[in-house]
Formats: sequence, C-alpha cells, structure tokens
Amino acid sequence: MDDKYSSNVISGGKLGRVEVPNARLTRYIVLLLLTKMLKALGIFESYDLLKVVHIVQFVFILKLGCAVILLFFQKPFSTGKMVAKRQWIKILKHAVISSIISLLGFFGLTLCGPLRTLLLFEHSDVVVISLLSVLFTSSGGGPSKTRGAAFFIIAVICLLLFDNDDLMAKMAEHPEGHHDSALTHALYTGIAFLGVADHKGGVVLLVLALCLKVAFSTHSRKLSVEIGGAKRLYALSSLVSAMVLLPWVTVLSATTESKVESWSGLIMPFVMIIFSVMILDFYVESICTAKLEAPRSARYGSIFLFLSGLLLANFWTHPLTDQLRAMSKPGQQASTEHVLSGGVLVSACFFILSDSILSSPSKKGQKGTLVGYSPEGIPLYNLMGDALQHSSQSLPRFIKDSLKQILEEYDSRQIFYFLCLNLAFTFVELFYGVWTNSLGLISDGFHMLFDCSALVLGLFAALMTRWKATRIYSYGYGRVEILSGFINGLFLMVIAFFVFVESISRLIDPPNINTVMLAPVSVGGLIVNLVGICAFSHAHSHGASKGSCSGHEHGHSHGGHGHSHGHGHSHSPGGRGMNANMRGVFLHVLADTLGSVGVIISTVLISQFGWLIADPICSLFIATLIFLSVIPLLKDACEVLLLRIPPEHEKDLNFALEKVQKIEGVLSYRDPHFWRHSANVVAGTVHLQIMSDVVEQRVIQQVTAVLKDAGVNNLTVQVEKEAYFQHMSGLSTGFHEVLAMTQQMESMKYYKDGTCIM
Amino acid sequence: MVAVDVINFQDSDTPLHRKKQETDTYVLWSGPPWTLTEQGTIHPFRKTHKSFLGKFVQEFNLVASDRRSWKILLFGVMNVICTACLLMWCNSTNSMALTAYTYLTIFDLFSLITCLMSSWVTMKKPSQLFSFGFERFEVLAVFASTVLVQLGALFILKESVERFVEQPEVHTGRLLVGTFVALFFNLLTLLSVKNKPFVYVSEAASTSWLQEHVADLSRSLCGIVPALSSFLLPRMNPFVLINLAGAFALGITYMLIEINNYNAVDTASAVAIALMTFGTMYPMSVYSGKVLLQTTPSHVIGQLDKLLREVSTLDGVLEVRNEHFWTVGFGSLAGSVHVRIRRDANEQMVLAHVTNRLHTLVSTLTVQIFKDDWTRPSLVSGVLPAATLSASDYGGASGFLPPASSKQAEELDPLTSTPTKPSSPPPEFAFNTPGKNIQPVVLPSTHQHRPYNLGGGLGVGAGLGMGARLPSVQGYRTSFSAAPHRYGSNLLPSQTSQYRP
Repeated sequence: MDDKYSSNVISGGKLGRVEVPNARLTRYIVLLLLTKMLKALGIFESYDLLKVVHIVQFVFILKLGCAVILLFFQKPFSTGKMVAKRQWIKILKHAVISSIISLLGFFGLTLCGPLRTLLLFEHSDVVVISLLSVLFTSSGGGPSKTRGAAFFIIAVICLLLFDNDDLMAKMAEHPEGHHDSALTHALYTGIAFLGVADHKGGVVLLVLALCLKVAFSTHSRKLSVEIGGAKRLYALSSLVSAMVLLPWVTVLSATTESKVESWSGLIMPFVMIIFSVMILDFYVESICTAKLEAPRSARYGSIFLFLSGLLLANFWTHPLTDQLRAMSKPGQQASTEHVLSGGVLVSACFFILSDSILSSPSKKGQKGTLVGYSPEGIPLYNLMGDALQHSSQSLPRFIKDSLKQILEEYDSRQIFYFLCLNLAFTFVELFYGVWTNSLGLISDGFHMLFDCSALVLGLFAALMTRWKATRIYSYGYGRVEILSGFINGLFLMVIAFFVFVESISRLIDPPNINTVMLAPVSVGGLIVNLVGICAFSHAHSHGASKGSCSGHEHGHSHGGHGHSHGHGHSHSPGGRGMNANMRGVFLHVLADTLGSVGVIISTVLISQFGWLIADPICSLFIATLIFLSVIPLLKDACEVLLLRIPPEHEKDLNFALEKVQKIEGVLSYRDPHFWRHSANVVAGTVHLQIMSDVVEQRVIQQVTAVLKDAGVNNLTVQVEKEAYFQHMSGLSTGFHEVLAMTQQMESMKYYKDGTCIM
Repeated sequence: MVAVDVINFQDSDTPLHRKKQETDTYVLWSGPPWTLTEQGTIHPFRKTHKSFLGKFVQEFNLVASDRRSWKILLFGVMNVICTACLLMWCNSTNSMALTAYTYLTIFDLFSLITCLMSSWVTMKKPSQLFSFGFERFEVLAVFASTVLVQLGALFILKESVERFVEQPEVHTGRLLVGTFVALFFNLLTLLSVKNKPFVYVSEAASTSWLQEHVADLSRSLCGIVPALSSFLLPRMNPFVLINLAGAFALGITYMLIEINNYNAVDTASAVAIALMTFGTMYPMSVYSGKVLLQTTPSHVIGQLDKLLREVSTLDGVLEVRNEHFWTVGFGSLAGSVHVRIRRDANEQMVLAHVTNRLHTLVSTLTVQIFKDDWTRPSLVSGVLPAATLSASDYGGASGFLPPASSKQAEELDPLTSTPTKPSSPPPEFAFNTPGKNIQPVVLPSTHQHRPYNLGGGLGVGAGLGMGARLPSVQGYRTSFSAAPHRYGSNLLPSQTSQYRP
C-alpha cells in the first residue's frame, strides 16, 4: 500500500529525488522574492515610460545600459578565449532575435498593461516546455500535467474572453498619430486584420512571443556553451543588439520629434528598470537555478512575480505608491487604465496553479496501467497510468500513409472525396458568413461540420475494415463497418429527434424567418449532397457487383424497402448490396438532401405565400422520413451485432443442418451457432455426435462442404464420439461436469441402442 | 437411413437436436414466429403484423411480472417526469449548461431501460435464432445508450460553438433549482437502482480522464489528510462523479451569472459538461463496443495464452490455429479453435483433453480436430494404448491422481462392451515417445518469440487501446507454428488450406 501512496505530491517528493530542505534555501528564496518584486516594479514603470518614450528607443536604451553594466562586470573581451568570426555571426543572429523578442514583449506591454504582461510573458522555460509536451506529445506525464496545461489554457482564455478591459475600448480608437513607427504600425494593422480588440491582440501577441522566447532560449543554450558561459553571451549579445538598434534609433530620432520633455528626468527610472529587469533578474535567476534547481526556482519565481504583480496593480494608482512612480504626472487619467478585473484575478489564480503544477518535476516510472486481475477476472488498473502509450509516428508520414490507404479502396475513396467537397463547402460558407457577419450562415456551417463527423466516422470505419486480423480482433476488423453503420444510424436518430423537437416548438410558436440568405445556401447544399448521392449510389451498384463473391448476398432489409420507396427516390434500393457503413453514410447524405429540399420548399412557400407554418411542417415531415429510413439500417445492424442467424441464410442453414444429419455415421448435432461476423464472413460452430466407427475427418470434410454451400465460410466442427464423453468424465473432477457428461453419454448410448435394435 | 424412423419415438426434451422428419421441424423450432413467417405459406401476413408490437407487449408483461422490475419502472416514470420538467426549465432559462446536464438525466432513463433489459435477458433462454442467448442485448443496450449520450454531447458542443458567436441572455431563475432537482434524481436513481450491466461496465472499462484526475487529486489530498483515504482512494463511480462535477459546473455558472452577468460562462460550462460526458462515456462504449466486435478481451489474453500453450504441449498436438475467443455477454467467453494433431494420435482423446483445459475459461467452446493426410489408411483413428497415457498426463490437468486411475478403469469398461470400437492400433509406436520428449524442447524456444510472456499483465496493459497489435500476433502465430516445421514433413499444403476459412 505504501507504494500506492508514494505517488502523491507530498511523499512522492520524499521518496523520489532528495530535495534540499527549505530551511537551508531560505535566503535564496528571499532573494528570489525580492528580485521578482523589483522586476514587477520595473515592468510597471516601463509601462509608464513607454507612454512617452518610443518603443525602439526604449529597447535600445535598455540594451545599451545592460551592455555597459555587463561589460563592466563580466569583462567579456579581456577574459576567456577569443571569439571567432563565425561565432560573431552567430552572436549577431542571437542579438537580432533577442531584440525582436524584447520588442514584441514591450509592444505587448503597451497593449495589455503591466499585470497582464507579467501573467502572460514571464513564464520560465520549464513551464512552457512541459506545457508544450503535454499538448503535442502523448507522453505528457500523467493527469496532473494535463490539468496544469488545462489551467494554463483556461487562464489564457479567461484573459481573452472574460477580461473586459475598459481602457482597451478607448485604445482601440487610437488616432493614427499614435503610430509613430513603421514597426508599431505594422503590428497594429496586423492585429486589426485579425479582427480583435487591441487588448486581445496583445494577449495573442504575448503568447506567441512567449513561445518564441522559450524556443530561442533553448536554442541558444548551445551557443552559450560555445561562447563560454551564458553570462558572457548575454553581455556580448546585448552589446551587439544595441549596436544593431542604433541606426534605427538615429533615423527615428531624426525624423520624429520626441514626446519627452527632459531626458534627464528619465535617467533614474531607466537605471532602475535596467537594473531590476535586465541585470538583477538575470543574475539571481542563474544563481537560484543552480542552487534551487530549475523547477523549484521556476515555481517560486513565477508565484512571487504574479503575486507582486497583483499587489502592484492594486496599489499602482494609489497615492501611497506615488513616490515610487517616476512618471508622476498630475493630470494623468491613468486611474482607469488596465484595472484589475475579475477575469484577470481568476486567470492569475489559474496561472499560479498551472505554473506550480507544470514546473513540478515529473515522476517517471508510474505509468503501469494494469496491475492485475480480481478473482472475477475484472482487470484492476493503476489509476495513475495513461494507458495509451503509443510509439509516436511523425505526423506527415502518418497522414501520407493513411491517405494512401484511403485512396486505395473504392468505398473509402468515395467517402473521402465527398468529405473534402463537403468540408470545402462548409468552409466557404463559414468564411462568407464571417465576412458578411451573417449568423444564419455561420450556424448552418457549423451544422454542416456536425454532419461531417458522420462522414469522418464512416471513413475511419472503411479504413479500419481493411486492417489485418490481430490477436484481439481474431476475425479481422470487418465488424467495425457494422458497428459504424449502427452508430451512424443512432446519429441519424438523434438528428431526427432534434429536428422533431425543434419543429414541434416552432409549430407552437412560428418565428419569423429571414429568407434572403436561405435559398442560395440550401441550393448549394442540395447540389453538394446530390453529388454525394450520385457518388454513393454508384458505389452501391459497384458494391453489389463486387458483393457476389461473398456467396449468397440477398438483400439485408425486409421492412425497409416499403419506406424508402414511399418517398419516391430513385436511389431507395441503396440498402442492397452495400455494407452497413456505406448505408449509414448514404442515409446521412440522403437526410441532408432532404433537409435542403425541405428548406427550399419552405422558403418558396414563405416568400410566396407568407406561410410561416410551412417551415415546421416541412421539418416534421423530414424528421419522420429520416426516422423511418434509418429503422431498417438499425435493425440489420442490430441483428448482426446480436449474433442472430443471418436471415438471408436461414433457410439454407436449416436445409444444410438436415443434410448434415443425413450424413453417414452422424447421430445428432448440438449447439449449432451461426452468425454473420461481417459483410463477408459468416461464422459457425457446431458439435456433432457420430458413431464410433466413422472416420472423423471425413465427417468434418462433408459437413464443411455442406455448410459452405449454405454460406458459412468460417466453420468449426467439433466431432464427438462416445469415447470423448468417457474421456471427459474421466478428466473432469467436478460433480456437475460428471453429471452432465454422463447424461450426454446416456443419451448417446440410447441412440446406439436404437440403432442396435435395427 | 433406417435409423431415422427408430429415433423418432424419443422424447424431445433433451438438448440434442435429433434426426427428425420434416414435419417435426415445425414443432421443435417454432419458438419464435420466424419459422412460420419465413417458411410458412400458411400464415403469410397476420403473423408478421402482430409479431412486433404484440411481441413487445408480451415481453414487457414478462418483465413486469417480476416484482423487482416494478421499482425500475417506478423510477423510469419519475425520471420521465423529471426530464420533462428539466427540459421545460432549459427552455425557459435558455441555458445550454442545464441542457447538457439534462442529457445526463436522459442517460439515466436509458440506463434504467438497460436495467429492465438485463432482467429480461435473465428470463430468456437461448432460442434458435439467437443461439448464444440474449445476453448480447444487454451489451448492445449499454453501447447504444453510451453512444446516444455522446451524440447528445456532440450536439451540445455544436450548439455551444454557435453560441460563442452570439451569446444569448441566460435567465438564472430556474437554473439552480433545475440543477439540484436533476442532481437529486440522478443520484437517487444511481444509488437506489441496482444496475448490473452498467456497474459491470464501469468497473471493467478503463478509467475515464475525469476519474484519473479525481484520483490524482484525491491522492494528493490523502497525502495531507490520510483519514480520507478509505473514502477517496477507491475507484470512483464515474456516474456519480460526472453528476457531481456537472452540478458543480452549473453552480459556478449560476454564481458568475448572478454576480457578474457573464453569460458566456454558461456556454463554457456546457462545453465542460459535454467534454466530461465524452470522457466518462467513451471508455464504456469502447469496452462494450469491443464486446460487440467479437474481440478477445485483453484481460484474459494472458490466461488464454497459458492455456493454449498447455494445449500445444499435449501429446499428439502439433499446432493450434484459427483461435477465436470472444465474449458473448458481459463475462462469459465463447470460442472456437482448430487443433492439428499427429496422424497417429487419438482424436477423441486429444479433443477431450483440449476441451478440458480450455473449458475452465471458455464456456462455449468448439474444438475442431484436424489431421493431415488422414486418407492414408495405415494409422487411421487409432486409440493410443493405455500405457502411453501415463498417469502424469492426467494428473497435470486435473491436479490429483486418483481420478485418473479411476478414469482408466471406467474407460476400460465401455471399451470392452462396445463391439464397434476399432481394433487397437499396433502397440509399437516408435515415434510416439520421441514426440513426447521433443515437445518440451520446442516450447522454450517459442517463449522468446512472445512479446507478452512476461506474466501477461504488462503486455496486455499496453494493448488496451484500439491500436493494432500486429507484432504480437505474428509472435503468437510463429510460436504455435513452430511445431509443424518439426513434424510437418508429410503435410500436404492443399489440405491445410482447405481447412482455413
């Protein structure tokens, strides 16, 4: 039991790697706390500074100051080995990318405000890497990591959706003069093109910048080793990036007039920002990573940072902190800027949670899934395990392989092409709907997507059907097709039910329908679906011609034809010769077609005569039709799934069994089981009792031949003689078995006596 | 052919299907009306018409005659009323989350129907049409209800996506009332009705992600408060879990809408409930779907392999092939297997031994004995002399020796009494003894072919998903076909292929 408990967070740490007790690390933690508080302060101040200083100038000053201080401390030129020319190029690249990232980050800061920037941008690499590994690989590391990732996503969504930042509405109507550089202008237009508010654009931008930052820092690790330490690289890189930014800054300051009244007043805040954001944070981070280990320092660091950010956000506009603020302007209306909203609070909580979960070290070796079996044979699972541990295959290769497989076979190819057509139509519709801002179109597009899921299911089933038999699927995967047909049938039932309910509620209270957009869309849908119907009805004739190989292929459905003929469709014999999967897909397409036809009819009726009632009546009618047309499919699929004797072979099988009894030497048979396994496998088992002097193999051969004529192509015959029962009664030790065996033996003897009389 | 007349006077109660005259078939096989509708030109129309509704009423009466099902019916009626109420409230509050939660109530209705069906199944005997019995109806009902709920959740997802585009106002008036009514009824139904099939499936299926997360959380909670371990650590009932989680989500929705008027929370929690529904139902539908697909349940593969290995070491057995094992209902295994034996082995003896071994696990078993080249007259269907059947052979199977000796005595008696026994084969089986000795040598080498000989458990666990397990099969096939390479010099390829399906 101890082992079972060991995986919890608390004791797992004790049993796993040995961590240094907190007491010895207190000073580092305090140091981290102080640093993070200063950093938050610096970020808040830089937000205020960025209102007056241009962003490129700001970044340039930061880089330059940082470079000067680091040159003083690190002495990268005088110490260490010489930097080669090739390495200078690499450092240049590094510098360019790092300045781009800091530009993006600070631009996000101007958009989102300091608190949101802190929440979004200041995650350590450990957190982001484990987040990405949860999201994009199957082996994330247990449910807790998944939870952390979910929290992270929820937090971002909270910031995106539930954070009604009032200021942003104000910022959204920014005057054109606000864009004082090409860079910011390009970013603004990019965000405006996305069609979101600036604040949300900032959130997206910051998330992207975060990913970029993490990728960049992981990538530059190799370079830092090459150069000789991360600190040296940092010093050189900030110097180079300051040099890179220099021409831009000079051009900028030459062309635009600055908003800054006096640069001298800004020296102190700049020094403060450079010290807290660029230098101190870097050094303390590296010390703590060494002393506390990366996960722990990441966890503490992000928690401290977020908490101090929250505190500062609360008090930043408060008079108490006015002396802290370098940019105390009397007439500032900033009190409404980026206020704390409920959404931000919730997302901060989620961020703190997700950071602490994601940065905790993953415990390996807990992935055992099956621990054993209970006496009843019920498997006992380890609750921690993630059972699906597949060896990962590269995605493009997988897509390529499955595409090839899809296009090999006729059925799956048809479904695939139709799916593509349907999806194309859907996306055109959705796009047009978004463009024209028409809700009807968008919802119809989602409806089409919903329908596409049935097609996807059919496609998967058609693909799986051809897989080879395995140990678990000993008969092969042919049955998947029937199951998919069944699910599709259920799907149609659900659709019919919803349409029915909807139309009933509309019958009671017919709403006004805007028919302007409806007609062209439904005509388009009708055309697409008609194409599908043509394709699939062709498929069924194809299937029928091919189906002759599976022996006696009588029609599946008996009751269904009446219904399908009822609504006068020329494709109604679609049930014949097609497998259940294709029938399901076909019925789906048929239902969609009916829907389009119904919409067209009701549109005409409404626009011509103003009969609002026509719409619900049409949908009622359609729902009934769908329902009736699905019943035969469901019935057939159920019969197969329930292992009923295949109805089309029933008579043949009876005759065959009678014939079997007439075979020379056969006394009787018992337990005859015949069932359809899949479209072309009819399996059967039968036990035969034969006389003792008959050769078993001959009987087996004859029986197999007879039953093969009746359509059974996977047969197992157990041939029992009297000796078998004697052996069995000898072998079986239980009382009941002996009793049963002796009874059977008795009955056999009885026979023998009967024959003996003759 | 003369025997036909003689046998007809026997009583028709025995399970064996006797030889009978043509008229007799109608009497024996007339249980369900299919024979009459199919074969009979006698009642062409009336019977088909009546069969569906009339049969339904008849079966319903059969179920309703049992007093235990009254309770289920009562709960069903209550559930219908409750669902109708909830649907009305969903309409009036315009809340998607409550609708998603109501679908769980509808699912309870399905599970009650499944429960009724399972009590019906226990009353029915296997019929001619459904020769395996009616247990699969239960499985199908479980599968259908889980799939239906998932489709409902899919519908919710679709609607929610549409709502994200334009969020309508949600009225909170009946939201909390609806939540508590639904929660109360769901929990009442879950805890007071003993739902055998769903309990089984929820225990046997793999854990849902919801369960995993709750287990993970409660583990860390138990690390702090160990007293809770008896309550939190066992596997949670997934239905109770999803009901509680859904109610929790609805509570948060209510709070946020009341306080801040965040209407989008409703849609978000609808999505959350739909996802939880997916997570809870998916493992169950996979489990029941696998039963419906006639697959070998992965938890018995280890045991089956052990048995099949034992079978392949039996005296005279060359190869085990075409093995199909699958579950009929929840639990009972059925299967068929082809066993290829040596030409000189006794078929009935091998059959008895194979059946005896496998019968412990597989209740409905059919074994086809296959012999190469049986037309060659020399060694046809010989009984092995009693000496070659050493006592250890039996003792290994049944566990103790006395029955074996008694069995031999028993066996001798009919041997002498029946004149139809073939003459005993020549006692000098030169290659009989080597066969016994070599067999153990063959098998250890085959052990290494198997990927899952490490005690079954781990190998099986890895294959829990739907993924193809091709490599293991090949390992398996090669392991059993190792024997024929040794013995199969006289194997005719045409004949082997004939018996393959």
